[in-house]
Amino acid sequence: MECGVLLNMRRALQLFILLCLAAQACAASHTLVLVVPVDSKVSDLDSLTVRKLFLGLPVLVDGSLLHPVRNRSDAELDPIFLQQIVAMSQSAYDRQILNGVNRQGWLRPVEVSTTSRVLDTLYADPNTVTFMWLHEVAHNPKVRVIRVLWGD
Amino acid sequence: MGRLINTLRLRLMSVVLVIHAALVPLLYLGVTAIVTDGYAELFVNPARSYSQLVADELEAGGADDFERRAAERLDSVLLTGQVVFAEIIDDKRRIHGSLPSLTAPVDPPDDFQFGAHGDEVYYISHTVKRPDRSIVLRLGFDESPTLAQIREAKQRVLIAILAFTAASIAVAVWLSAVIARPMVRLQEAAKRVARGDFRVQLTMSSSIREVQELNHHLEHMRQKLVGTNERLEREMGEREVSEAKRLDLERRLLHRERIATIGTLAGGIAHEFNNIMTPILLYSQVALQDAPAGSALATDLTRIVAAAHRARRLVTGVLTFSRQMDLQQPAVFALRPTIEEALGLLRAIVPANIEIAFESQDDDVAVVGDPSLLHQVVINLCTNAYQAMSPSGGRIAVKLSAVRNPPKSQLPPGHYVLLEVNDTGHGMEESVLAHIFDPFFTTRDVGEGTGLGLSIVHGIITSMGGVITVESAVESGTMVQIYLPAAAGRAEQDILSAGGAA
Repeated sequence: MECGVLLNMRRALQLFILLCLAAQACAASHTLVLVVPVDSKVSDLDSLTVRKLFLGLPVLVDGSLLHPVRNRSDAELDPIFLQQIVAMSQSAYDRQILNGVNRQGWLRPVEVSTTSRVLDTLYADPNTVTFMWLHEVAHNPKVRVIRVLWGD
Repeated sequence: MGRLINTLRLRLMSVVLVIHAALVPLLYLGVTAIVTDGYAELFVNPARSYSQLVADELEAGGADDFERRAAERLDSVLLTGQVVFAEIIDDKRRIHGSLPSLTAPVDPPDDFQFGAHGDEVYYISHTVKRPDRSIVLRLGFDESPTLAQIREAKQRVLIAILAFTAASIAVAVWLSAVIARPMVRLQEAAKRVARGDFRVQLTMSSSIREVQELNHHLEHMRQKLVGTNERLEREMGEREVSEAKRLDLERRLLHRERIATIGTLAGGIAHEFNNIMTPILLYSQVALQDAPAGSALATDLTRIVAAAHRARRLVTGVLTFSRQMDLQQPAVFALRPTIEEALGLLRAIVPANIEIAFESQDDDVAVVGDPSLLHQVVINLCTNAYQAMSPSGGRIAVKLSAVRNPPKSQLPPGHYVLLEVNDTGHGMEESVLAHIFDPFFTTRDVGEGTGLGLSIVHGIITSMGGVITVESAVESGTMVQIYLPAAAGRAEQDILSAGGAA
C-alpha cells in the first residue's frame, strides 16, 4: 500500500517537473542566442564582429578562423537574422555576400535547413558559430550560449 | 444580334477586351508589388543599418555616465526626422531623450516586414550587450512618407495602365477597322458579282498579305466567271440566231413546199384544161371561118374565140407560176428598156392622179431571161400598186440599181440587179402579207381578181434565179424588192465556177 502511494507521488512529481520544463521552454521560445560548441575557444563576440562573421568576412579568434552557419531551420529566423544580425534587407544581404565572394574571395556562410544538421555541424567543428532558439540549446551540454541576440 | 457579334471587327474587339480584362489586373498587381517591394527595400535597409549602428555605439561606449549619454544619443536619433520613437530599457527602467517622442505602446513587437501593422511605425529593438548588463534599444521609424510614396506610385501605375489600356483598345479598334474594311469591300464587291454585275473589279489596296491573296483569288475567280458568262451569252446569242434561222428556213421550206404543191396541182389542171381548150379554140375558129360574116353566128363564135383566148392566157399564167410552161430560150437583155416599155403601157391605164416615177442608177444592168416575162412582172406589180391607192391618188416609184452581195441570206454573194417598186397605198396587214404569193389568194371581191398576179411574179422571179421580198404596213405603203442575178455577174460566176472545177 505504501509502495503504491509512493509510486503515485513519484509520477506526480515527474509530471510537475515536465510541466515546469515545458513552461520554461515556452517562455524561452522567442529568445534567439548565439551559440558555439562547448569546446570552442570563442568566449564572446560583439555585435559588429557577429555582423562581419555572417557577412562572410574572415574572423580570427586565437588564430582560428571562425565558420559561420546560417540557421534556416525555422522561417521565423530569417527576418530576425536580417534585422538583428546583419541589419539589412534580404536583397542587400545577397548583394553583399555576392560582392564579398566574387570580389574579395571571402567564404559564403554555410546555410543549414534543419536543427539536427545545425547541431551536427556544431559538434563537428569547434570553430563553428551559429544562432539558435534558446529552448533548443538550453540543456545541451555540448553547446555554449555566448550572446543573446534578440528576445521577444 | 448573333450576326452582329459574329462580325470580324467585334470578334477582334472582344478578343482584345478579354485579353485586357485578364491581363490588366495582373499587370497592375505585378507592377504595384514590384513598386511596393522597391520602396520597402529603400525603407527597411537603411532603418536596420541605422538602428544597428546606434546599438553598436551604445554597446561600445564606456560605463561612465551611460544614462546621460544614452539620452543624448536618443535625442540625436530623434533629430534625424525619420525616427519617431526611441527608448532604452535598462533593467526595466525606461530611458528617453529630452525631445518629444511618439507615445508608443508598451513593449511594441518588432516589425520584420514593412507596413505589416497599421500603426505606420516600423519598430526595431536591439539587445545591447553592456559590460555589466544587457539593455534593449527600441527605435520606431516613420513609415508614413514611404507609404504615401507607395500610394502615389500605385496611382501613377494605375493611370499608366489605364492609359495603356485605352491606347491598346484604340489601336485595336483602328486595327480591326483596317483588317475588316477591305474584307467588307470585298464582300460588297462579291455581292455585286453575285447579282450579275461582272464589271466590278475586286481590287483592294491592303497591306495585309492574307487580304491581298484573298483579293487576288477572288478577282481570278471573277475573271473566270466573266469569261464563262461571256461564252455562255455568246453561245446563247448564236443559238438564238441559229434558232431564228432555222425557223425562217423551216417557214420558207413550208411555203415553198406549199407553193410547189399548189403549182403542181394547178399545173396538172392547166395542162388538162389547155388540152380541152385547144379543140374548143380550133373548132370555134374553123366554125367562125365558115360562118357568114356579120351574122349572129359569127358574132357568137367571135365571142367564143375571145373567151377561149382569155382562158388560154389564164392557163399560160398558171403554167408560168408552176414553171411547167416551156420558156423561151433565155437571153441577156437590158432591164431599163423593158421596164420603161411596161411603165409606158401602164401610164395609159393608170389614173392621172397617180404618179409613176422611174429611176435607174445604172443603165447598163442586164439579166438573163425572157424579157416578156419581166415585162409581165412590172405590169403585175404596178397594177397591184395603183389598185392599192386611195381615190385621191398616190405615187408609184420604180427604182433600178446594181448591187453587190445583197443582204439576203438565201442569195450567194455576187452581182445582182435590184428592182424596187414602192407605192403609197394603204399597205397590208401581217396576215395578208403571209399569203400574197399563194395562188388564187386575193383580197378583192369575187370576180374582180384571179389571185394569180403575185403568184405568177413569184414563179417568174424564182425561175430566173432571183428573190422577191415584200415589206408592207397598214397605211404606210408597200415596198417590193426583186434581186436578179446580173448578167455580167453570172458570167463572172460561171467563169469562177469553171476555174474552181478545173
